[in-house]
Amino acid sequence: MTTRRTTLASRIGLPAAVVGLLLFTLFPVYWMVSTALDPKASLRGSDVLPSGIGFEHFEFVFDKGNFGTYLLNSAIVGLTTIVAAALLSLFAAIAVARFKFRFRTSVLIMILIVQMVPLEALVIPLFIQMRDYDMLNSLLGLSIVYIALSLPFAIWTLRGFVATVPKEVEEAAYIDGASWPRMFWSVLLPLVAPGLVATSIFAFITAWNEFVFAYTFMKGSDKYTAAVGIYQFFGENSTAWGPVMASSTLVTVPVMIFFVIVHRKLGSGLAAGAVKG
Amino acid sequence: MPAPRGPRPPDGAAEAARRRKKLITLTRPWLLLAPSLVVLAGLLLWPLIQVGKLSLEDYEVKFGGGTSTFTGFDHYSDLLSSSLLWKTVLPNTVFFAFACVGLTVALGTLVALLLNRLGTTWRMICSVAILAAWAMPAVTGTYVWIWLFQPQDGMVSQIAGSVGLIDPETTNWFTERGPFYAIATLNVVHHGFPFVAITVLAGLLTIPKELYEAGELDGANAWQRFWNITVPTIKPVFLVVTILSTIWDFKVFTQVYLQPGGDGSNEEVYNLGVFSYIQAFAKNDYGTGAAAAVLLTVLLLIITVVYIRTLFRQGEEDL
Repeated sequence: MTTRRTTLASRIGLPAAVVGLLLFTLFPVYWMVSTALDPKASLRGSDVLPSGIGFEHFEFVFDKGNFGTYLLNSAIVGLTTIVAAALLSLFAAIAVARFKFRFRTSVLIMILIVQMVPLEALVIPLFIQMRDYDMLNSLLGLSIVYIALSLPFAIWTLRGFVATVPKEVEEAAYIDGASWPRMFWSVLLPLVAPGLVATSIFAFITAWNEFVFAYTFMKGSDKYTAAVGIYQFFGENSTAWGPVMASSTLVTVPVMIFFVIVHRKLGSGLAAGAVKG
Repeated sequence: MPAPRGPRPPDGAAEAARRRKKLITLTRPWLLLAPSLVVLAGLLLWPLIQVGKLSLEDYEVKFGGGTSTFTGFDHYSDLLSSSLLWKTVLPNTVFFAFACVGLTVALGTLVALLLNRLGTTWRMICSVAILAAWAMPAVTGTYVWIWLFQPQDGMVSQIAGSVGLIDPETTNWFTERGPFYAIATLNVVHHGFPFVAITVLAGLLTIPKELYEAGELDGANAWQRFWNITVPTIKPVFLVVTILSTIWDFKVFTQVYLQPGGDGSNEEVYNLGVFSYIQAFAKNDYGTGAAAAVLLTVLLLIITVVYIRTLFRQGEEDL
């Protein structure tokens, strides 16, 4: 009885579920890319196939829309965020995973709580603060905000990774006469490298995708990030869908490539964060 | 004066070494934590205190600087007595968040179970598809869904029109709360379920196969095996993805703000985040905006307390 139902389910149910899943996940992606390539984008209606293939919209967003600058801005902000967040969160993760000290639990809980703070609550005071320090319109100022936003999650995830490195491995290194920095570089760092990759990806994604702060802080149009840059092609009543989708494609595809390359590490990174803490 | 040669008294040396070691042990974790704590305190904690202060003031921008007048709890009493908050903003925020969380976790779990049963090749293909949905930034994803549901020329509007469901010339999905938030929900779930699917899958892979074999021998059907074996075994994973989704979905801003009418031009579709933002930046009423932000923070803090308590209760002796 059970076996027959299982075979029936796997004969029809599984393929149907797979097709449904692929349609639901990929159709919006397909629609974005094919609209971007369709020279008559705004007239597509219910045509599933584009009326033609061309790169006019991509040329338009680079020539008229200044999108190259926005992508560069996003890349600068993203890389700054990655480097700083990875470094800071690794130090912090080692501290909370390896050492017993007073207030350790309180520190961890505080880190958890600040992760819950809604961005809209922060955007008002940070806007005022940034304006007072003349940091509006500054890529560095925006990066600092993103570093802070990605730190809590990064610390919690990396904590899981550092905790999985057996203490014996470190102790063995000490017995062999390694100093603490040496142990860090040659023992701990290689072992937590996958976790570091996962946290860097998350930090990069945070910075790359963020809209509210970039939209509020960056008012000079040459300082837009790519996520905000799309907004200029979008109109409430009449939207040039070709350029909107071309720039959307340019923002999405790098992330997609990233995800596919690192997806194994991504899964284990999430599991370490979720299971260990 | 040169130090005396030869072995020093063993007691003093050992004592000094021990004291130095103790000092290092005490300060090292704090030195490692310091940079992160400074950044978090300066950019998350301090602004949060500021927003609390701001919610008790009237803040005005004058000649590039700001002046504030203390007004006590006026903004809160105005906010809490407004029918807009109780009839529109709060229901929108809460129902939308719970719909998104429920659907995200349910769909993510189903997909994780599916991936777990697939062979290597198809699991690979489906994982890449899921990653693609995840990789679409909230901004770009939102534009795609708007384009699909665009009145008149959007794909869904045209198909619904051609089968006679709606009149595509007059139907605008975005002007009413129901359809507006249905589209936003679709968008948030599409973007959010991959995180749940991949995390739950990672959890599923840790469950020993013997448990299921034993369950099958005892005559448990698939449904019973799921509720009695899968759910209890990876309960911590479910807790974390549910609570994280809750926190994220209460804070949804971009997906609502970018949809037509979501930027404040249609009061019907306000949620707490958008309301706070519009008050502060469009109406220059920072005080009310801050009060709404505090309200949202309090809501999320309550959820956080639940989160922390469950984390502690899952038997993590050394957090």
